[in-house]
Amino acid sequence: MDILQIFVNGIVLGALYACIAVGFSLVWGVLNVINMLHGSFIILGGYLTFFAWFYLGLNPILVLPAVALLLYILGFALQYLFINKVVTAPVLTTLTLTFGLDMILYNLMTVYFTATPRRVTLDLGSIDLAGIVMPVDRLLGMGLALLLTALLYLVMRGSTIGRAIVAVRMDRQAAALMGIRVNRIYAVTFGIGALMAGAAGAVFAMVFPVTTNLTGVFLGKAFVICVIGGLGSVPGALVGGLALGVIESFAGFYLGPQHAITVGFLLMLILLVVRPTGLVGVKGYE
Amino acid sequence: MLGRSWKFTANAIGVSTIALVAAGALGSAAAADDILRIGAPLALTGGLADEGKKQEAVWQLWLDKVNDAGGIEVGGKTMQVEFVQYDYQTDGKRAGQLAEKLITDDEVDVLMAPFGSGHTKIVAAVAERYQVPLLACVASSVSVYDQGFKYLFGTLAPNTGMTESMTAYFKEQMPELEKVAVYGRDDVFPKAMATALANSASAAGLEVVYDQLYSVGTMDHSAAVSAIKAAEPDWVYMTGYTQDLILGRKQMEDLGVTAPIVTMVTGPAYREFTEGLGDLAEGVTSSTWWHHATAYTDAIGPWTSTAAFYADFVEAFGIDPDYVHGSCAAAADVLVHAVQQAGSTDSQAVRDALAETEVLTFYGPIDFGENGMNQGRDMPIIQVQDEEIKVLYPAAIAGAQMKLVD
Repeated sequence: MDILQIFVNGIVLGALYACIAVGFSLVWGVLNVINMLHGSFIILGGYLTFFAWFYLGLNPILVLPAVALLLYILGFALQYLFINKVVTAPVLTTLTLTFGLDMILYNLMTVYFTATPRRVTLDLGSIDLAGIVMPVDRLLGMGLALLLTALLYLVMRGSTIGRAIVAVRMDRQAAALMGIRVNRIYAVTFGIGALMAGAAGAVFAMVFPVTTNLTGVFLGKAFVICVIGGLGSVPGALVGGLALGVIESFAGFYLGPQHAITVGFLLMLILLVVRPTGLVGVKGYE
Repeated sequence: MLGRSWKFTANAIGVSTIALVAAGALGSAAAADDILRIGAPLALTGGLADEGKKQEAVWQLWLDKVNDAGGIEVGGKTMQVEFVQYDYQTDGKRAGQLAEKLITDDEVDVLMAPFGSGHTKIVAAVAERYQVPLLACVASSVSVYDQGFKYLFGTLAPNTGMTESMTAYFKEQMPELEKVAVYGRDDVFPKAMATALANSASAAGLEVVYDQLYSVGTMDHSAAVSAIKAAEPDWVYMTGYTQDLILGRKQMEDLGVTAPIVTMVTGPAYREFTEGLGDLAEGVTSSTWWHHATAYTDAIGPWTSTAAFYADFVEAFGIDPDYVHGSCAAAADVLVHAVQQAGSTDSQAVRDALAETEVLTFYGPIDFGENGMNQGRDMPIIQVQDEEIKVLYPAAIAGAQMKLVD
């Protein structure tokens, strides 16, 4: 029973991790921007969901599309107004800019929402399948992660905007020559990244405490997952998230919870040496 | 973590300075030596912002109270009190730098330590180097006080006192208690509490069936909770900060861990713990250093009784004070008392007066031991019952009988 339960714990956690990383991976892969705002976007989504639930009594699942849309608008605007100005500069420049923007967002949230941990106390219970326990809210998060990843995959493959994003990722200049408005595509991509973060935040408001203290933790996870899974492909985030979740779960059980995070980082280091593209990454985006 | 450390480094230029100047002090022609200057590096932003703001709030309340009364009498003359604060953004290194700035640039007479054992330790090293007395009101790990520092004094009692009395009390309440699972955050205070509890439980004849630490930044406790479930403990004892405890308690429920006693240190001491958990907080116990239900009278300082402090606090903030508020206000009382005993703000004289201190404050008796820590006393055990915090122990201030978790 133990092994199966630990595996299920890991898969469910891994799907939540994928939820964190999918938007981050997209932005990194397409824009070559390490978006330091990502953790704060997730927490902002969590706060919006919490306030909608606390003051208006709205169910987080119902609020999710609105929160995601708001984050999309915020992401689009930030990219269009600020990041696009320096997007072709070396990665350190964009990293510094998003870091500065993150400082502003993070501190605004701390000042106006306080750092007090809050949570949507809408406990949905657990499902017990032959002795394997699965919390419903985490399953919901898992479903959402899979759905969002699948949707994003389809959008990237089958829609005009998706093909444009992929084209820009492959060759910015050639894409521009083909008539693609590159800056617009960048803004859309960054917006989608923020949308994914907002949607993740809405689900997380039921699972994790919502507090600005966790922005750095989320960002750190997204970073590790992208390195493990690989940049440049949507499934990379899913594979990276699931791998990290399962590894942390087994390491936590057999080596002690103290070592769970260490083992995750160790895996990241090993992959950086032996397979810099990550588990399913595309060469050229490592 | 990746993001956090970068955050604080780059925010270096944004250090905000808040000087809380005593009412009237600016207008008067008071000379510099007629002002008691207290320096405090505080975590007003970052991970410990909530706790830092509690310190800031209660000291403002204390300062208003003291200065409204005209100041303090020292050696036959009246002195005003002034607080000089800086936000160290929950960055331990910066706390040390700002403590140094407070001493050398702002020339404060004494220092107040920030929240938590880890950051107190850093500031204590600076205070010791410059031989400036330091009052620590939210540091209870013995490892902070066993460095041979002469200028460090703490108002919280040692962790070990809490775990021994708790183990004895629970055994009395539940004689069939046999197995305990201990799960602590790998951080100065939570780790010290987890270690102390495991030792106290073993010494009391209980079987410690699980004893592990989790790293700072852990986002998931399912592996540990699954292992705890398999060990079938009668008592689950978890330590950590509020966000860890909320997540841990929720995952216990999610994965079906049931134990008659669930202790989360120091979760129920904070309102945000019960708010963040809702029904899941019911029955959770904790130790705490202080609870406003205690009833001390004839105390030194601006509040002569616990009730007087409670009334002023509730009027000012509309919420109940917790141990951080109580301990930090009492630390300011003790400091003033020491300055009065010394008859001046001379560092050495104040330090010697602090070492001799044996007073009663609204928060309880304060008597610094050899290592500078307040001597152990019966610290309250509290439990969440019907969304309220009830004191179970000691009997003198108990307001409810202990209930076992279903």
